[in-house]
Amino acid sequence: MGTFKTPEKLEEVLVGFFKHMGDTPLIADKLLKSGLIIRFNYTDPDLVVVVDCSGDKIDVRPHDTDTKAIVEMSMSADIAHRFWFGMVNLTKALTRKEMVAKGPIPKVLKLLPAIKPSYSMYPQYLEANGYGEYNITKAYTPPSA
Amino acid sequence: MGGYTGQILYVDLSSGRIEKKPLDMEFARKHIGGLGFGTRIYLEQIKDNPVFDALSEANPFVLMTGPLTGLKLNGVARWAVCSKSPLTGYWGDSNVGGFFGAHLKFAGYDGIVITGKAASPSYLFIHDETVEIRNAEKYWGQDIYTVTDQLKADLKPETQKAGQVLAIGPAGEKCIRFASLINNKGHAAGRTGMGAVWGSKMLKAVFVCGTGKIEVAQPEKLDELKAELKEVYEESIGISAIHAAGTAAHMDVGIISGDIPIKNWQMTEWDDIDDIGPTEIEEKIFAGHKTCYGCGVACKKNAEVKDGPFKMEKGPGPEYETIATFGTMCLNSSIESIAKANDICNRYGMDTITCGSTIAFAIECFENGLITEKETDGIALTWGDSAAIVKMVEKIAKQEGFGAILGQGSAKAAEHIGGNAADFLTTVKGLEAPMHDPRGAHGFGLAYAISPRGACHEASLTFEAEGGMIYIPEIPELSADLPEGSDERAQLNVVAQDYGMFFSNCAIFCNLGGMPLNATQALNLVNFATGFDYTLDEVLEIGRRVWYLKRGLTNLFGARAKDDRLPKRLMTPMTEGPTEGSVPDMDKMLAEFYALRRLDEEGIPTKQVLEDIGLPDLAALLNSA
Repeated sequence: MGTFKTPEKLEEVLVGFFKHMGDTPLIADKLLKSGLIIRFNYTDPDLVVVVDCSGDKIDVRPHDTDTKAIVEMSMSADIAHRFWFGMVNLTKALTRKEMVAKGPIPKVLKLLPAIKPSYSMYPQYLEANGYGEYNITKAYTPPSA
Repeated sequence: MGGYTGQILYVDLSSGRIEKKPLDMEFARKHIGGLGFGTRIYLEQIKDNPVFDALSEANPFVLMTGPLTGLKLNGVARWAVCSKSPLTGYWGDSNVGGFFGAHLKFAGYDGIVITGKAASPSYLFIHDETVEIRNAEKYWGQDIYTVTDQLKADLKPETQKAGQVLAIGPAGEKCIRFASLINNKGHAAGRTGMGAVWGSKMLKAVFVCGTGKIEVAQPEKLDELKAELKEVYEESIGISAIHAAGTAAHMDVGIISGDIPIKNWQMTEWDDIDDIGPTEIEEKIFAGHKTCYGCGVACKKNAEVKDGPFKMEKGPGPEYETIATFGTMCLNSSIESIAKANDICNRYGMDTITCGSTIAFAIECFENGLITEKETDGIALTWGDSAAIVKMVEKIAKQEGFGAILGQGSAKAAEHIGGNAADFLTTVKGLEAPMHDPRGAHGFGLAYAISPRGACHEASLTFEAEGGMIYIPEIPELSADLPEGSDERAQLNVVAQDYGMFFSNCAIFCNLGGMPLNATQALNLVNFATGFDYTLDEVLEIGRRVWYLKRGLTNLFGARAKDDRLPKRLMTPMTEGPTEGSVPDMDKMLAEFYALRRLDEEGIPTKQVLEDIGLPDLAALLNSA
């Protein structure tokens, strides 16, 4: 059993975080510039989420299996959770196929600088939204401190 | 026989004697190629007189290809050079791609051994069976780009077919201690100053033009494997990434884990880093893809700066290590200036890692008042001053004023500057550390410390294994999911050395272009090309022997346990960022490593272990030294 016990909880936490990123101009502006439509396929528990950056705002759509995505990213929910803390060795995860990316890799790479600020946002988001039990950052300091 | 051409060229520049010696196939089987041949031949050359200066004529220089060099396969265009390093005084070697190795084999030679010193500037002309030492007076003083174009143009009427040039620039001629050898203007044997060895021998270039072909032992099996590997390469994200963005792709990935040294290793995070990342490179300086012979990965990129103070014509662009040394290390966010610094290094023939790191070191000395504009010839060496950085690269290349001090490398410059300058050094055994931070991956720390040539991320496959670029399921240590910290790193280093000596030193796979290969695929490529039936255990033993040879040679040149240490700067924990508070436990890792490798308290392989691995002559030599 992974970190998230049910698909509903995974959806609640991760989809909420994606929407939070979509509402953060520092990240959203760069994602929108990419114009990418990314489908995340999570396992254990299973969840499909589309992050659509092709419009004028970030659209996050759970359970969307119909939209033709430009990039498909597949991984376990635990890897995804650790990734948003900046704790996944991306190179190793891709080499060992713990993360599988399909689509135009150069465009995926261009997203990395865009999402970099999200690593510090994720623990703050978890704490601020009542998901503190999922915060695995040891040195987390609440924003108000 | 397949893979090999069957001949090694011996050239003595003092006497002018040229010999073509047949490659003994028992020797080939036992040493595979590349530095497997190189270390053994080098030892034979020096064993009667192992005490000499790296810039004296007594220092031999060996260039060797591998059994796969010159085949139309991904990631096998490489070849290797070795000699005593003028920068460190210890063992020196360098591994390089491009086209020279392939063409040397087309001409019929697996390698070249160069001894002695020419009386006047010379170049070696190789056109199939014709091998001559020729006068290079007219080329002496020319930069790499000029001599490459000029030699090709001058010799085309004679050879009919275009040749390949391996040359030194003015830096090598002046024996700058980190001078490089460069093929095709951008494929550099950069580390440890092999260009200065050529300069001391008055050897400007080797021109080679070959019309032959390389036969392989089992062509049908090789073709089948090539077809199988096509899919492996297509599926590899790492290959896709370096094809798209070159090694600069690591700017985006490495910053996440704190791998990229910033401000002379004092920071791991920097707001301006995206200004010199792949996206900006593509927008501002990218001028097309480049590759090495027969390789479809094409990880090299051309660059061009069309106007402004750093204007440069289209040429080989900066790779990751160069972007980091002249960029993040110096807090320099001008990618155009980094391209220009790289261009100067390529033209004059200098190693960009040592050059950029030495400038970052000098900036810190300047910041701390150890040097002033009086010493730096009026240049204010401050963090992020792109123009000053480029100017200092030029001064080093020309050996002007303070540039002549920095041209000795940072370790010797620190001795000259004095005070606490040594605190700012990032060297191990006198070689500046590459751009990967061991505070984030402790195995790198051990790899840097015990590398025979000094701080180096390619002296084994530790960087690739711990960093996650390779996955070798046949070897447990190279497929394990290691815990964070320093545990299990000694064993990782031992195995990464053994396999790495086989993979990237003897068979000479490219650590980038060969990264998707598992051990079975790599082994089969060698076996189908050569016709040998190597097993994994056998090549690991060969790799182990090569590692002990390199270690023993560097011990022979004076390296001891006290030199197996990381500098203070790399052992200072960061107070924030991804590697916060983390430093490698060097005492633990070194103790474990010494025990596993059976090194004595001085860091020298015991007589018994050298005899066990089949190196009794090296044991005797070390015992008598």
